[in-house]
Amino acid sequence: MGAISPSFINELRGICGADGVIADPVQLLVYECDAYTLEKQVPDVVVLPRTVEQVVSIVRLCADRKVPVIPRGTGTGLSGAVLAVNGSVVVATTRLNRILDIDFRNRRALVEAGCINAWITNAVKHRGLMFAPDPSSQPSCTIGGNIAFNAGGPHTLKHGVTTNHVLGFEMVLSDGDLVWLGARPDGGEDVGGYDLRGVTMGAEGMFGLITRVLVRLVKAPRAYRTVLGIFNSTEDASQAVSDIIAAGILPGALEMMDQPIIRAVEGANHFGLPTDAAALLIVELEGQGPGLDRQLERVQEIFRKRLAREMRPAANDQQRADLWKCRKRAFGAMGRISANFITQDGVVPRTKLPEALRYVYEVSRQAGLHVGNVFHAGDGNLHPLIFYDERIPGQAQKAMEVSNAILARCVELGGSITGEHGIGVEKVASMPKQFTDDDLDAMQRVRRAFDPVTLFNPGKIFPDGKRLRVRPAA
Amino acid sequence: MSLLAYNPDDMVVTVRADTTLAALQVQLRPHGQWLPLDPPHAERATIGEIIHNDLSGPRRYGYGTVRDHLLAIRVELADGRFIKAGAPVVKTAAGYDLCRLFVGSRGELGTVREATFKVQPVPEAEEVVEARFGSLKDSCDFVEKVDTSILTPVVLDLHNLVTGAWTVVVVFAGVREEVEWQRQEAAKLAPMTASSLGHEQQFWSMPADVGPVRKVSVLPSKLFDALKDLSVSFVARAGNGIVYYRGGPEPPQQELPTKLMQRLKDEFDPQHKLPRPA
Repeated sequence: MGAISPSFINELRGICGADGVIADPVQLLVYECDAYTLEKQVPDVVVLPRTVEQVVSIVRLCADRKVPVIPRGTGTGLSGAVLAVNGSVVVATTRLNRILDIDFRNRRALVEAGCINAWITNAVKHRGLMFAPDPSSQPSCTIGGNIAFNAGGPHTLKHGVTTNHVLGFEMVLSDGDLVWLGARPDGGEDVGGYDLRGVTMGAEGMFGLITRVLVRLVKAPRAYRTVLGIFNSTEDASQAVSDIIAAGILPGALEMMDQPIIRAVEGANHFGLPTDAAALLIVELEGQGPGLDRQLERVQEIFRKRLAREMRPAANDQQRADLWKCRKRAFGAMGRISANFITQDGVVPRTKLPEALRYVYEVSRQAGLHVGNVFHAGDGNLHPLIFYDERIPGQAQKAMEVSNAILARCVELGGSITGEHGIGVEKVASMPKQFTDDDLDAMQRVRRAFDPVTLFNPGKIFPDGKRLRVRPAA
Repeated sequence: MSLLAYNPDDMVVTVRADTTLAALQVQLRPHGQWLPLDPPHAERATIGEIIHNDLSGPRRYGYGTVRDHLLAIRVELADGRFIKAGAPVVKTAAGYDLCRLFVGSRGELGTVREATFKVQPVPEAEEVVEARFGSLKDSCDFVEKVDTSILTPVVLDLHNLVTGAWTVVVVFAGVREEVEWQRQEAAKLAPMTASSLGHEQQFWSMPADVGPVRKVSVLPSKLFDALKDLSVSFVARAGNGIVYYRGGPEPPQQELPTKLMQRLKDEFDPQHKLPRPA
């Protein structure tokens, strides 16, 4: 603390106004971490610009004084990618949050980077459209944050992730230049040259500060069939997932929860879920309507073949909404199980799910920790929740070890250490498990091209960049 | 064997970049799967060419382009080192997405040697229909009607390859009942007859003296403006606002972030051993 001088903070006030700069130690506590709470760092100062011009001025000032810039949305990230470093400025986009234009004819919307994900769909659904990426945090996460992690969600099995739905955006580079990458609001979708838009998706705010975003809207499905399958073994449930895909059915979503999660969700919400079941599958088919019943029948056949003890098809929209509440409220219910937990996000080939789950249970048992799983089974994207109590000495460390072991196993099984949460500070140590030095070097080259002076979000993603001590500001 | 890994239950396939798209589809077909890409000349277009040149076809309207299906690549860099990017699973958020950087890079940043794709089940049914119009305006109005309707075709093309007519070609794909329903709904918008994607073949097989293939990408709502003064043969991905035409005027220059592109080129190919930007 103290690396940022009062006069520098005054200069920031000059740009954003007094109410656009937070320097009070108590108020700054809000920004000490994101939803990954294992590591914390109270920032020196947070700025809340309201306009693109203010963002440009902030970046230019910081570049001039060699003060690192940490881009931040609403802090719902799960890997600590917005963690401040000493002597940095956190730029939160929460006031840069307007929907600027909706082009229904061309199915596009132009929004500011701090626009909340769910606002977009809310603004267009009356015309039968939606913004497809639907992370569980969608009522509170920003589109800029979705880009930073290439966010997914339950419906990415069919609709893809954020990169498939962002046409272009405006970004401030470290030299203060404002560039537009990808398709422009008034231009066609194919853009020549290198795919600078594509490579920035998922770059965790390390290339620049995104200010405005052009998103693609898609026609919303007009009909759904959603069914809950209840199983006495996670193996049977996993096998049902593979069978559904093998049958040539492409559900909109295919989600799984295991027993600890079922119990927590039921305890918190009383949905009437059987707490002695080993696993639940939520399968959602979507389309125009015709043919959905036949597909639903096939899914139920597969459930029966894989010994589902019960099936609960949603009979109406209310019941469908209730089923999704079970899934999307799962994380919130975890407080009932444990004071603290780590969420992991490894991905394995779908057919390796049973093996990966066995490993998750085994490695947690050996460490004496409880674990629950709620995840995107159709994508092979695990979300093991490792429970610990930070008040018990050594437990947090143990939880980290279990977590790292699971990630290593995901890579061994041919997968990835993260499907949608990103690396941040949390998984830097696991990067060399998945990538060679040459792979990482190629990523560094891209970073140097975008940000030769390492202004944006230092200390994230790369193992050797961890805990960089940053020069104090002038 | 050019197929390096394929587990149909995972719907993921890895191939050498010198494999042709057609040869890959032949391997996927017995498992009821395909890579939903349909660029011109699939029988001779290699996976490497498709990635380097970002090639696509009519079905991009429904299925997207190569960057929507690509999961991982192995790339030979200018200095001879090999890197991998992405991961052979249906999603990853580990590190930067270098896969997409190489799509459309024309081999200027490195050479893609292997590629891993997400594949899909072959749709249960597919139907191709067309409607012909006596004026460009009418055909564009129909395109807009379909594009903004509840219908979800996988192809929405417009071409002028039939003398004296503007032809809109629409493809529906999916489960049988839904395809049938969509076809009936479409017929309410205009009289439609059974058709094929023969126009695509015809356009790309025209003799070279017809002129080079040029391309322009506009907002779908600006399609009529883009076509109204074009007197040469064209095929438009009408739903995407993309027009390919033979001969005719040069397309307008796009404004690109050239400084940033040059810095990337210098980082990846400092000695300029790879193809230079055109």
